Amino acid sequence: METLSYLLPQVWFVILGIFLLLYVMLDGFDLGVGILSITASNEERRSILMTSLGNIWDANETWLVLMGGALFGAFPLAYATILNALYIPVILMLFGLIFRAVAFEFREYSNRKLFWNIAFGAGSFMAALGQGLALGGVLEGIAVDEAGHFIGGPWDWLSFQSVLTALTLIQGYVLIGSTYLILKTEGELQKTHYGTAKIAAFTTLIGAILITIATPIFYQSARARLFAQPQVYVFALIPILGVLLIGLLIRSLNRSQEVTPFIWTILIFLLSFIGLGMIAFPYIIPTEITIYEAAAAPSSLVFMLIFVGILIPIMVFYNIYQYVVFRGKVVGSSYGE
Amino acid sequence: MDSILNVVVLSRMQFALTAIFHILWPILTTGMAIYLVVVEGLWLKTRNVDYYRHARFWSKLYVLNFSIGVATGIPMEFQFGSNWAPLSESIGDFFGSILGFEATMAFMLEAGFLGIMLFGWERVHPVIHYLATIMVAFGANLSTFWILTANSWMQTPAGGQFVDGKFVVIDYFQAIQSPFMVTSFFHMFFATLETSMFVIGGISAWYILSDRHSAFFAKSLKIVLAGAIAITPLQIYVGDESAKQVYHYQPTKLAAMEAQWETIPAGESADWSIVAWPNGRAEKNDWDIKAPNGLSYLLEFKPTLSEPVQGLKEWPPENRPRMVSLIYYSFRIMSGIGFFFAGLMLWSVLQWLRGKLSSDTIAQQRWLMRGWILAAPLGYIAVEAGWIVRCVGRQPWAVYGEIRTVDAASNLPIGSVLTSLLGFSAIYTLLFVSALYFGSRIIRQGPNLELEPPGLDRPPALETSPAEHTPDQRPLEAQQ
Repeated sequence: METLSYLLPQVWFVILGIFLLLYVMLDGFDLGVGILSITASNEERRSILMTSLGNIWDANETWLVLMGGALFGAFPLAYATILNALYIPVILMLFGLIFRAVAFEFREYSNRKLFWNIAFGAGSFMAALGQGLALGGVLEGIAVDEAGHFIGGPWDWLSFQSVLTALTLIQGYVLIGSTYLILKTEGELQKTHYGTAKIAAFTTLIGAILITIATPIFYQSARARLFAQPQVYVFALIPILGVLLIGLLIRSLNRSQEVTPFIWTILIFLLSFIGLGMIAFPYIIPTEITIYEAAAAPSSLVFMLIFVGILIPIMVFYNIYQYVVFRGKVVGSSYGE
Repeated sequence: MDSILNVVVLSRMQFALTAIFHILWPILTTGMAIYLVVVEGLWLKTRNVDYYRHARFWSKLYVLNFSIGVATGIPMEFQFGSNWAPLSESIGDFFGSILGFEATMAFMLEAGFLGIMLFGWERVHPVIHYLATIMVAFGANLSTFWILTANSWMQTPAGGQFVDGKFVVIDYFQAIQSPFMVTSFFHMFFATLETSMFVIGGISAWYILSDRHSAFFAKSLKIVLAGAIAITPLQIYVGDESAKQVYHYQPTKLAAMEAQWETIPAGESADWSIVAWPNGRAEKNDWDIKAPNGLSYLLEFKPTLSEPVQGLKEWPPENRPRMVSLIYYSFRIMSGIGFFFAGLMLWSVLQWLRGKLSSDTIAQQRWLMRGWILAAPLGYIAVEAGWIVRCVGRQPWAVYGEIRTVDAASNLPIGSVLTSLLGFSAIYTLLFVSALYFGSRIIRQGPNLELEPPGLDRPPALETSPAEHTPDQRPLEAQQ
């Protein structure tokens, strides 16, 4: 029983991590394409951009709903405290997601597309900004009392580091959005996004370097963990691998490859994610509450694990199927070959 | 205390606003998804191309509603944590798991197959496409099931106990099968079907009355009429069962629904008030009109009661719902609409049996068609009224008898909640106006009766042509 009360929260921490990673990658390119749509030079291009998302944006966004539900059920205390503390960035994200979601349909029927174009682009940007600020705010730590309830102020999350995190996340979304568009488009449009991908690769790299430097300087608890033996060797590996991956990404962009840039970007996301997870673990409300303290009762975790656990592979399967059905380039405003 | 109270009020207003607005969209799409399964099935079976065109036409309205439903649904999930943190922490072990189930079992299923259902006509075999449509409908209705499971548990908590204000689950299946769950699920399931059937029927009637594609829309009207024959009486039955459960499990709510201030002891007959003017301050109705023995018949189907009907004055004011008039009239509006639907169904069936609904004579049934047009928005009103009875009537409890709403709210700064509330109000107003505008545009534009279905026999190959349907082709159709 004793081991179970350690193992179960760990299992759920990993499941939440999987949901969050899938969300950040999938809705990441979704939001990234949305942000890039601001720069689209004409309506035809914007139509292609939106068509490339038409069939999958809803499923991508649903990973966020999954993560919310899983967090609520598995770590109710963390769900309550984090959302309470991050009220403003969360509302910012929600407003952004509303605008971009309705823009898909409203734009199609509208004669004045400009308004919904702005709603789509700005909504995507707002959602990404809210997510980045929330992520930064969580990593930085949340003021709680000994029961784990939020006792800080409404602007606690706002700091140099959280803004840096948000800007880097937006760059990352633009990067993965660009590489997705390289995959899904051709001709001039594809060429444009080789360009945006290269710019975003550099800006993401700069952000990542700054975060890597800032983390041990600003976060005392992280510093102790980062430089403790023997973890320091694992942690040291992450920036090295990161630079290597960015190098591979830029090489594949320079060689005008179509599929590999997207794959390298996904690996960069995965790597950053593992890094963040290792810094956060075992805290779910940094820097006070561990996953063991915030977890629901073991029986709840088992109950949820039975139902949700079985469904994870099934969900992944039919999501992949949907991508297979809609594989190929988006031509004009339809799926070509 | 005062500032906390205001934040509670603001958070309640925000939850009410976002819930009332959000539900408008899924009640149509969950019911309409079943209609889409029916017409696509009819197409596959009869190969009558009209059914295929029905599927394509109605799915335009479907996706418009669906996207707003998704957009406004996400704030619902996150608000539990942001505005109701103490509640979430206290009941998360059970309630959170149920929302997690809804996301994994229902939402993802719906979202995962929606793309194929909307854009995959030329990309997958029709049978695979049909499976996708079924999965979307199944996912949507499964989501009704889990949401009603979660809400029913808040009405009649079961399956565990509260220890130091935190709910400890003892038996999950018992908690899922809380006393209200089965009837509440069916009540809502039928409500989504009724709403969408009368919306589809009302729009069809509008076309018939305007003499546009009468034969085409006579088909959809008859399909939803066939559904209404089964659903409208069943809904009245389930609604009655629900009220009886409220009588047993939530006496404060029943007293508010009936604006009953004084207790009616067992053995006496209870009148049912038809119209009343409840006066909360004086704790009585200023005036009312009553049907003799009505309530006794409604609750136990006999002239005298075997159990007492407790009046509101049995409880101190802080333990009973306020806004009695709202609950009282919402209940009557909801029930009245339920009976109107049944009456409209009977009238339509009568005309159908007399052979007056054939495609060449249906346009002459002008008053009947007007009745259906009138019915189109009523389902929404009934659902909203019903949820007002259910959730305002549950007050002052968030979890009935266990957690008070005032103790459930996060201690947020007033400025934050006020800003978000104003933001939601503005955005939702914009969405509502836009949805009506674009929805009526789709309706005015009408179905595309030239649309040819993908071949049933050949596998629709990816090599032949680019996918015919994409969202961007719709404005082109608008120019026709």
